[in-house]
Amino acid sequence: MTSDRTHTPRDCDEFQRQLPELFDSDRDLLAHAHLQTCENCSSLVRDLEYIAAQAKLLLPIHDPSPAVWDNIQNALARQAKDDNKSS
Amino acid sequence: MTKNTLRTAGKAPSPTPAQPLTAEARPVQQQRRRNPPIAGELAAIAQAQQGDGASFEVLYNMHKRRVYSLCLRMLGNVAEAEDLTQEAFLQLHRKIATFRGDSAFSTWLHRMAVNVVLMHLRKKGLPLVSLEETLEPSQEDGPRKDFGARDLTLSGCIDRVTLERAVEELPPGYRMVFVLHDVEGYEHNEIAGMLKCSIGNSKSQLHKARMRLRNLLRQPADGKVQA
Ligand SMILES: [Zn+2]
Repeated sequence: MTSDRTHTPRDCDEFQRQLPELFDSDRDLLAHAHLQTCENCSSLVRDLEYIAAQAKLLLPIHDPSPAVWDNIQNALARQAKDDNKSS
Repeated sequence: MTKNTLRTAGKAPSPTPAQPLTAEARPVQQQRRRNPPIAGELAAIAQAQQGDGASFEVLYNMHKRRVYSLCLRMLGNVAEAEDLTQEAFLQLHRKIATFRGDSAFSTWLHRMAVNVVLMHLRKKGLPLVSLEETLEPSQEDGPRKDFGARDLTLSGCIDRVTLERAVEELPPGYRMVFVLHDVEGYEHNEIAGMLKCSIGNSKSQLHKARMRLRNLLRQPADGKVQA
């Protein structure tokens, strides 16, 4: 798979060093020149983009236990009592 | 965008009170995508602002899941996440009269919850940004050049539960930035402001978090290997 490679390991290092910045730019990362010749880095970029995309689907799946609302209610009731006393 | 978000990690100020809850700098469109308006929310807000307890409970039920999930993902601990969910809603109760509607209510509330969590962590003296950042990059997170093009890419083979579990395994500093950026949709300049680190630091932590996730997700140990 490396038969017609036109990049060196140093190119990969350099590309991967820039990745945190490249990801945050608006440019299409997959159009980057290095990725035209490097399947390893392409696969890396595809994976990282995939992870970022999947993360957006992670929104809410957990519910707090009912005790949380009970505690909130108790705290609010205590507060209201204290407010009454002091006024 | 706020200008004072560019702080270096080296001179993080001592614990500060909650950040002012200004309107988010994010485009309204993005807020809408993340936080679509909920039916009945506006009426409940207006009534809760007048002190109506039942409406406050309605708001709690509308938002508890999002707020708790956020706390849980940031903290990785159920007991703490429940305590801070409680604290976030108590703070909401104290401050709801100041909500003016210049950002989505949920955006405003989530920012409040994030601040509650960050204050809690600061009080505990925990670094908000991974200390590993200042050390030599560990081999594990470094670029891998040897996996070969024939390796499967992840695309299409991870589900939410698998990713959720992998996120739980991230070191706290990585997880924090990953949750704030990739899950909650905050921008690096906002995260830098919240965590009192540089924007570059936020970007690099995010990158390391994704790299670590990739390694975790490629591990065959899960028992869920694609052949
Ligand atoms: Zn490469």
